[in-house]
Amino acid sequence: MKAMGIIFASIYDASLGDLTNKRTMASLPFGGRYRQIDFTLSNMTNSGISRVGIISKHNYQSLMGHIGSGQSWNLELGENLDFLTPYALGHASSYRGKLDALNAQRNYLEVNEEEYVILADSAVLCSIDLSKVLAHHIASGVDVTVVTKSGIANGSKQLDLAVLADEEDMVTDMAVDYCAEEKYLASMGIYVLKRVDLIRACEEAVARSRYHFERDFLLREFTAGTMKVNVYQFQNVALFNESTEEYYRNSLAVLDAEVRHDLFRSDLTIYTRPRNETPAYIGADGKVIDSLVGDGSIVAGQVEHSVLFRGVHVAHGASVRDSILLQDVDVGAGAQLACVILDKDVRVRPGARLVGTPAHPVIVKRGEVV
Amino acid sequence: MKFEKKHCVAMLLAGGQGSRLKVLTENTAKPAVPFGGKYRIIDFPLSNCVNSGINTVGILTQYQPLELNEYIGNGQPWGLNRSHGGVQVLPPYARSKKSEWYKGTANAICQNIPFIDRYRPENVLILSGDHIYKMDYSKMIRYHEQCGADCTIAVRDVPLEEASRFGIMNTNADGSIYEFEEKPAHPKSTNASMGIYVFKWEVLRKFLLEDDEDPESKNDFGKNIIPKMLDAGHRLFAYDFEGYWKDVGTISSLWEANMELLGQEPAFDLHANGRIYARNYAMPSSFISHESHIEDALIAEGCEIFGIVRHSVISTGCSIEAGALIEDSVIMPNVHIRADAVIRNSIIGEDVTVCRGAIIGGGHDDGEREISVISKGSVIKEGTVVAPGVIR
Repeated sequence: MKAMGIIFASIYDASLGDLTNKRTMASLPFGGRYRQIDFTLSNMTNSGISRVGIISKHNYQSLMGHIGSGQSWNLELGENLDFLTPYALGHASSYRGKLDALNAQRNYLEVNEEEYVILADSAVLCSIDLSKVLAHHIASGVDVTVVTKSGIANGSKQLDLAVLADEEDMVTDMAVDYCAEEKYLASMGIYVLKRVDLIRACEEAVARSRYHFERDFLLREFTAGTMKVNVYQFQNVALFNESTEEYYRNSLAVLDAEVRHDLFRSDLTIYTRPRNETPAYIGADGKVIDSLVGDGSIVAGQVEHSVLFRGVHVAHGASVRDSILLQDVDVGAGAQLACVILDKDVRVRPGARLVGTPAHPVIVKRGEVV
Repeated sequence: MKFEKKHCVAMLLAGGQGSRLKVLTENTAKPAVPFGGKYRIIDFPLSNCVNSGINTVGILTQYQPLELNEYIGNGQPWGLNRSHGGVQVLPPYARSKKSEWYKGTANAICQNIPFIDRYRPENVLILSGDHIYKMDYSKMIRYHEQCGADCTIAVRDVPLEEASRFGIMNTNADGSIYEFEEKPAHPKSTNASMGIYVFKWEVLRKFLLEDDEDPESKNDFGKNIIPKMLDAGHRLFAYDFEGYWKDVGTISSLWEANMELLGQEPAFDLHANGRIYARNYAMPSSFISHESHIEDALIAEGCEIFGIVRHSVISTGCSIEAGALIEDSVIMPNVHIRADAVIRNSIIGEDVTVCRGAIIGGGHDDGEREISVISKGSVIKEGTVVAPGVIR
């Protein structure tokens, strides 16, 4: 394929609060066994993109640990997979925006020879064939293609980039950091453009202290009429995990067969780092319904409408409802949980009771005992 | 090229046909038969090697090696993808002078003397590819060295009435073996060989070469090598092993061993110490629907369950539709069970589709249990009835 991929690993870190306190957005666990970046990386691999660079601002240790050598995604670290970390910058400050980050990695953009670059982040989860997006981009002859999703704009959710498009998919209006009304299409954070154009954009913008990709490049050039932008309207499921509430809602949305089968398609595999776990065990008195259960879990209590990651233990008499339990969570006997997100390694004492609401799920930080 | 010396090299005998597993080994070597939801039988000895610090393993294949070779690959799932040592699949191969299949267990090792010699090991560990157990071989090797033994054989205590089905080691008070009896009619002791041997390589090498020249020999460890070593006055010791161990060479023992993974305190606890490694496939977590009911079951990844599952092992990538009932059964990977099918006391092979309303297995009126088996890739048509104990 004629394109290389660049993944921004830490775009919405702040808005997910405690969940991204010690990890980047990209390494946030999702769907019972994955990290968010698994979707982005798998999409790239599945689409035949043979070179991927991951740009991370901070907290990248957990991410690097997860990616390892890259072989789970059929990539090879140092060969066609690179971590583009801020220490490569030569100065200690972290990035001020995507353009700044890209500018710091200009050498990486320059030495590689792919004609196109696909930019993506890890906040929007989907299973997409990017080769179709690239073909659409090339056929249309525009400067930049934005992958969009309809039905996300609702007048109150702030979108990074909202656009209106005509019947030929050409962008007719564009707004940044805007609570767009329903007719707008939301950018999924996936952009396609020529590599040389991206390099030039970095040079020009950063030289003038402009760092924001959407605002200082896309919007500016589009408004000035110097750049043609079109959209690739993605028709399948796209989950925007840009806030804790969305993360909670989207996590449970996977229990819906339509969403699940759209995200985990038989023709596009989502890869992740394997973990050698035993199959899940559901005991004689255990009851699990309407839930995802990760391997290595042992359930002796009751679980309903919840997502259990790998290695979760739910003891006898405990009840778990409408909740997300990340890997290796341990729920003690008789504990009652409803509408909670328990981060990795949380231990719930026997008999404890934790109840949140769908709009405000209770979040317990990694490793805490409650 | 000179290789670094290894303290111990393991040789895993994986060439047997496993004919007693019938249709399950029709196109698959026995060590590649699925077990416990996500494993294959060979994962157990292989993982034991890794957990015991043995990182050089030769796997001797012969019968239907394709699937097994593919499964082992470069050994990466077991951490055996090493530039020195690691795992190596050793099929019989043609030589300039004589080419032959592996005639017996000892002959298989004999033909691979050059492989072992490369590592100049102190000891060679001989393992079978058809046993389910967790064992720290390093303890056995330490015992072997403390005894100054030429050969140490792992044994387990079996009930006296069953002893005549095994190779029995008769030992002195110090654990040394004075006599080996293969399936004795009147057993003198209950120390059954587990088919796990540690040999001093130097000694074994000599016996293998001699045995190879003996036209009368069956070239078998139990029948030939061990008796010859005893006759020659070598030091052979029995090493007692007390943990769970099961030969899964028959349909009923394979079924039983799977069932022994279940329960509050399973006879064989997969979750307890000593991780078993397996090749992992990229599959999502399993979904269990609101109309399903699951009790006392292992569920591997990638399943979608809408039916009822009791006291069973459900392997990776299976789907079980609403109204289906599965009881006391082993469902191997990628099986699709359609609505209202009923499966009891059965082993369902890989990639099988059981259509709507089919009934497989069950109990006999006299309470006797006989396992029904469906072979890999079959489609059991709508409404079919497969009687208890039928293998097809």
